[in-house]
Amino acid sequence: MGTLDLSIIVPLFNEEENVQALYEAIREVAETLDRSYEIVFVDDGSKDATFALAAELASKDPNLRVIEFRKNYGQTPAMVAGIDHARGTILVTMDGDLQNDPADIPEFLAKIEEGYDIVAGWRRRRQDKALSRVLPSKVANWLIAKVTGVAIKDNGCSLKAYRAALIKRIPLYSEMHRFIPAMMSVAGARIAQIPVRHHPRRFGVSKYGISRVYKVLFDLLTIKTILVLATRPLFSFTGAAVLFGLSSALLFGYELMHPVFGQEGFSLMNLSIGMLLGALAIFLVSLGLLAQLVYRTGSLRIADLSVLTASLARDEARGGPKC
Amino acid sequence: MLTTSERIGISAVVPVTERFDDVEALYRAYKSGVAATGETFEFIYVLDGEFPEVHATLRALREQGEPIKIVGLAKWFGEATALTIGFEQAAGEVILTLPAYQQVRADEIPRLFEALEGCEMVVARRFPRRDSKLNVAQSKAFHFLLRSMGEVPFQDLGCGLRLFRRQVAEELNIYGDQHRFIPILARQQGFKVVEVDAAQAEDDVFRRVYSLGVYIRRMLDMLSVVFITKFTKKPLRFFGLIGSFVLLIGTLSTLYLVVDRLFFGVALADRPALVLAVLMIVLGFQMIAVGLIGELIIFTHAKDLKEYKVKRVVE
Repeated sequence: MGTLDLSIIVPLFNEEENVQALYEAIREVAETLDRSYEIVFVDDGSKDATFALAAELASKDPNLRVIEFRKNYGQTPAMVAGIDHARGTILVTMDGDLQNDPADIPEFLAKIEEGYDIVAGWRRRRQDKALSRVLPSKVANWLIAKVTGVAIKDNGCSLKAYRAALIKRIPLYSEMHRFIPAMMSVAGARIAQIPVRHHPRRFGVSKYGISRVYKVLFDLLTIKTILVLATRPLFSFTGAAVLFGLSSALLFGYELMHPVFGQEGFSLMNLSIGMLLGALAIFLVSLGLLAQLVYRTGSLRIADLSVLTASLARDEARGGPKC
Repeated sequence: MLTTSERIGISAVVPVTERFDDVEALYRAYKSGVAATGETFEFIYVLDGEFPEVHATLRALREQGEPIKIVGLAKWFGEATALTIGFEQAAGEVILTLPAYQQVRADEIPRLFEALEGCEMVVARRFPRRDSKLNVAQSKAFHFLLRSMGEVPFQDLGCGLRLFRRQVAEELNIYGDQHRFIPILARQQGFKVVEVDAAQAEDDVFRRVYSLGVYIRRMLDMLSVVFITKFTKKPLRFFGLIGSFVLLIGTLSTLYLVVDRLFFGVALADRPALVLAVLMIVLGFQMIAVGLIGELIIFTHAKDLKEYKVKRVVE
């Protein structure tokens, strides 16, 4: 697919102290790989000298490309820009703060060539504050695993490798990067996880906070709905509708049975609540149908991605994965 | 002056809608203002609906050799739509939008043009205001509401005089009534937008009192712009947050009523509050479900909607 063997994608945001060291570390590893490669730095609207330093490096090294954003868009858009611009057959993404170690890259490549579609790193010994960073992310990982059914040890680790053909088709926006493995596994991708080194931050400050719990929860609900919709269309919204419909039917049934028990009249309260719940059930079924309409007319279906996975590609080629 | 081979510096787009002043006098004033920048220029008048008299005046001016293009819309579509159509006709490197009525003194244009150096858009702010206290108060209230819904560092969105580079026009996606929000939307696209004080025109001073419908429309516009700028990519964060809040209140009140019934013997049948509580639960679920539909739309179109804008790529 790509014209190069490997693209290493690094989003940068206010990393002027790290750019030089990062570049040298990556280049050192990449040169030993005996593959054609490129390094893609994405400057996410840094306010400091990050872009100037990176551009300076790029002017000397033909293997380095720097993409400059008009303003700060966030980590996922930066990753996506890197992925969109990358020319490699295998893409490796990593953080720009030197907490990931480029020395791990060869292992990732080996796994991809073994026939995996995505290789996710997990930080065995995290060098971050336990309470404010490690604990929330443990909870988030557990939740994501429970809800999506894909047990990724460390969704927050940016060091990952992908087959370009597949990742370039995955819709990534906002903070969806957390759910890449979940989306890919629904497409039938094979996922490998390997432990990676993790260094404490040398310079600069960490750019994540604990204040995004509700965002993760809503994102999870979204991804769950989409994953269900991809395989069992009607179940997504109608599942909840059945619950409310049943409650409504029970309330009505109970009221209609009054004469049988010798009671007089109806309880307006029960009937009103029954009607409300009934209306909700109908509303949800309608939305379920609308959801299918949207999904069918959209430009992306998860099943389409399935044909791009390594296992199928390998069967086609009959002789190792096409990497 | 309208030959295609010639480079055009400034395209002035004038949308003619409900409110307009003496067309010829205003044109001459604007023309001298634009000419003072030293750039070549063209004027594009977009008639938002049928304005036979304006059309006749403009045609007469064009026959006198004035660089005017006239575009007519068959019916009323709104100022933002008119502007968008004007942008499509514009050949200039810089686009200048001008109100079809006296608002900012035309001789301020060269100063604004100079301010465009080093940024992508300049919007005028009428300052000092010399019109009635009522107008100022209305405008203050409007901007206060907008600011309270999100960060909006602009103080005179109602001012129709804006200067920006071609690229900005190509990336603006506005229609209907959204012209007031051009600076906000441009800023969201990653462009640098600067607000510059400009003298208000002497004729812009009369009291403006609108019908109730106009105020309601303005509020709805605000809501849609806040939604577009902050939640386009994540509709569930908007609907879901409101929905779960309502759902939470509904659930808590239901629980309270049930506890009251079970342990304190207060009969539920006499309490309409229960219907309200259940109604809130229902509404909460509905809002979350609508948010999910929104998410689904974004997800299935995510590859068509690019979230980032690249300034340049260095190789």
